[in-house]
Amino acid sequence: MKKSLPMFREPEASGGCGGGSCDSDGHEDHDEGRRDFLRMAAGAAAVGVAATATGCGGEKPDYEELLQKHYRVMTDDEKKRVFARLEAKTKALTGVTVHISDPQPLEGVHYAYALNLSHCNGNRRCVEACARENNLPNDPEMRYIRVIELDNGSQHLEKGTVHYAPEKVPQKGKFYLPVQCHQCDNPPCVRACPTKATWKEPDGIVVVDYNWCIGCRYCQAACPYHARRFNWVAPSIEPDRVNPNQGYLSNRIRPVGVVEKCTFCLHRTRNGRYPACYEVCPTGARKFGNLADPQSEVRKIVENKRVWILKEELGTEPRFFYFYG
Amino acid sequence: MSAKRFHRSAEGRTWVGKCSLLGALLLGACHPHAPGEKEHSEGPPGPTPVVSVTIEPRTPMLPAYPCSGCHADRQPHPEKYVLKEFHEVRNHEFQHGEDKFWCYQCHSVKNIDKLVTATGELVSFDEAFLLCTGCHGDKLKDWRAGMHGLLMGNWNGDKRKKSCPACHDPHDPRYPSLKPEKPPAASKGLKAF
Repeated sequence: MKKSLPMFREPEASGGCGGGSCDSDGHEDHDEGRRDFLRMAAGAAAVGVAATATGCGGEKPDYEELLQKHYRVMTDDEKKRVFARLEAKTKALTGVTVHISDPQPLEGVHYAYALNLSHCNGNRRCVEACARENNLPNDPEMRYIRVIELDNGSQHLEKGTVHYAPEKVPQKGKFYLPVQCHQCDNPPCVRACPTKATWKEPDGIVVVDYNWCIGCRYCQAACPYHARRFNWVAPSIEPDRVNPNQGYLSNRIRPVGVVEKCTFCLHRTRNGRYPACYEVCPTGARKFGNLADPQSEVRKIVENKRVWILKEELGTEPRFFYFYG
Repeated sequence: MSAKRFHRSAEGRTWVGKCSLLGALLLGACHPHAPGEKEHSEGPPGPTPVVSVTIEPRTPMLPAYPCSGCHADRQPHPEKYVLKEFHEVRNHEFQHGEDKFWCYQCHSVKNIDKLVTATGELVSFDEAFLLCTGCHGDKLKDWRAGMHGLLMGNWNGDKRKKSCPACHDPHDPRYPSLKPEKPPAASKGLKAF
C-alpha cells in the first residue's frame, strides 16, 4: 500500500535567515559572529525565541538546522555534517536511504538547452520524468515543466492551455511549448531575493539553498517564465517515488515554506549525464549540452538554426533556446 | 545572445583553441563510419576530451531478419501487386512517396538482406540512414551534427545515436501520435495557464 509521508518541517524555513542580514559573499567572520552570538544566547530564552519566530509552536526546533550557514560559506566539513543530517532525516521520515551529493560546476562548461518545437508533440513524458527525478510531490501536485498548447501561428501565451487532455497528441492545428526554468544569464529571480538564497552558478545554473530561503516568494513573482514553485505545505512523497540520488542544491527533498525550481538536474548533468527530461523525450525534441563547446549539439543549433528565446524583450538572456527544424 | 557572450571571454577562447588542436593531433581526420563503429569528433573542449558516438545497429531490432530466411526460394516481384502473405499490412499502411514507391525502391532485388540506394549501391539495414538521406539530405547534415534525432549517453562523453528507422517507420515515416501524460491539476481559484 502506498503511504504518503510528511516531509521536513524545518524551523529555518521562516526564520533561518536572521532577519535578512545574511551575507552570502563569503563574509565568514561576520557569519561566525552571528553564530557565536546565537550560541551564547542559546538556552531557555532561545528556545522560546526560536519557537515563536519560526511559528513551529509545539515542535522541537533543530538547532543544527537553525544555525546552519549559507551554502556558499560552509566549509567542506560543515557541508558533510549537514548532508549527513539531511540524509538521516530523510531516512527517518521516508525509510529510504538516500545519498546527498554536492557536485561542483565543471570548468569551462556553460549549460544550455535547445528545444525543437517541430518535434515536440506535447506528450508530457518530460513533465513526469522530471517529477520522478526531482522528488516532486503529487499532493499537492508540483511540476517544474509546463507544456503549453498553442494554436499554430500564434504565440499568444495567455490563449494557450496547459490542461489539454486529448486521446492523442499532437492535435491538428496546435503546437506545444514546454516551459521550465530558463537559467537566465540575467536572472530577475536572483536580483529579487532579499537573502541571497538563490544565485547563479559558474556553469549557468540558477540554484536555491533551500535551507537559507525564507519563503518570501519575491523570486517567484519576479520570474517571467513561471518557473519557480513554492512549498505551501510539507510536501508528501511516496517512499517508492523517492529518488535516492540527491543533490544538495537540486533534488533533495525540500522543506515546507521554501521556493524550488528546475536545476537542469545538476546532480546528473555535473556528472556528465543528460537531464531526466532529455533522456525520456521520445521525439528527440530536446537537446542539451555545453554552449562553450563548438562541437556540442546545442552550440551547433544556436549557430545554425533560427533559434529564439521566450520573452526576449525582457532582457533575461535565457539559456533555453527554441527552434524549428 | 548568450552564445556571443562566451566568444568575448578570452580565457574560454584560448582553452577552446588548445583543445581543438589537441583533438586534431590525437585523432587525425574524420572518416566515414559504419554503424556499431565509433565515430570520433574533432576534439571538443569539455571535461572529457574525446567524445565517441556509436550508431545503434538496426538489425537486432528486426524480428524477421534476415529476410532471405523466407525470400531465398521466392521470386521477387519488381512490379506492384497486392501483397498476400506476411506483409499484407503494407497494402494499406504504406504512407511513403505518394504511391510511387514499391518494395524494390529501397529493398534490393539482387540481395534481399540489403537495401539499395537511389544510385544503386547496396547498404546494410544498419546503414539505413545512407538510404533515407538520399532524398532527405538536409536531415543527414542535422543528424550527423546531433541536431536531429535521439542521442543518448553522456553530454560530455560517449554517446549512442539512433538511426532513422528507430523513430520513423520507413513505410509510414510520420512520427506516431502518442497518448499524453495526465494534465496538471487545476490551480484552485485560478484560471488555467
